[in-house]
Amino acid sequence: MDMSLKEKSTWLSLLSTVSVFGYYFYNIIGLAELPENESLDIALALSIKTITAVVMIEILFQSLLAISNHREATLGNDERDKLFNYRSTSIAYSVLVCGVFLTLGRIVILEYNPSFEEGQSSWRIPLLTAHILLLSFILAEVSRFAALIFFYRRAY
Amino acid sequence: MATELPITNKIRELRFFADEMTQQELAELVGVTRQTIMSIEKSKYSPTLELAFKIAEVFGQSLEEVFQYKGRV
Repeated sequence: MDMSLKEKSTWLSLLSTVSVFGYYFYNIIGLAELPENESLDIALALSIKTITAVVMIEILFQSLLAISNHREATLGNDERDKLFNYRSTSIAYSVLVCGVFLTLGRIVILEYNPSFEEGQSSWRIPLLTAHILLLSFILAEVSRFAALIFFYRRAY
Repeated sequence: MATELPITNKIRELRFFADEMTQQELAELVGVTRQTIMSIEKSKYSPTLELAFKIAEVFGQSLEEVFQYKGRV
């Protein structure tokens, strides 16, 4: 498959984000069954491990990619890359805004009806508001990467 | 289905007459990736005016000799 460095880099970011944060959220959902103080410690430890893993994977593999495509790496973004970035960021922004509004809605509901979450195990996910925001950000990033790949494959 | 752009070009032909200049060579001369040149050649992507001028300059041609507008005003 004929791919530019930017497209390869986007594929790498998409795969690492989906796999690492997929694993993270899968484990976070599992914490809903645990006592609150215990689940909070595990969630914090897991989030630190996840962020470290993503940073390490990105640094290592993006560096290897840049070294193996040195000439293209020094070029930076050309005008087509910038156009694709602009379009995909616009899509990602919409996803992020949906997540932010969802979080705001939850905060407002809890303000007026504090008993809203009582009796539902799914609401016992530690740092739920933060996790909804984090999930929105990750979904926005995934949609940005997916849109970029779509534009690169389509070529315009 | 690929979108039909109103701008066509003679880059492939001009590369042929420039000692079979490769897409990579042209890309390096104008500062874009080879994939961008490929998209322009296939009329899938319309370059900016600046890039269009740079490409025309590489071949020593005027803009109209390299790019043709097939649409209506």
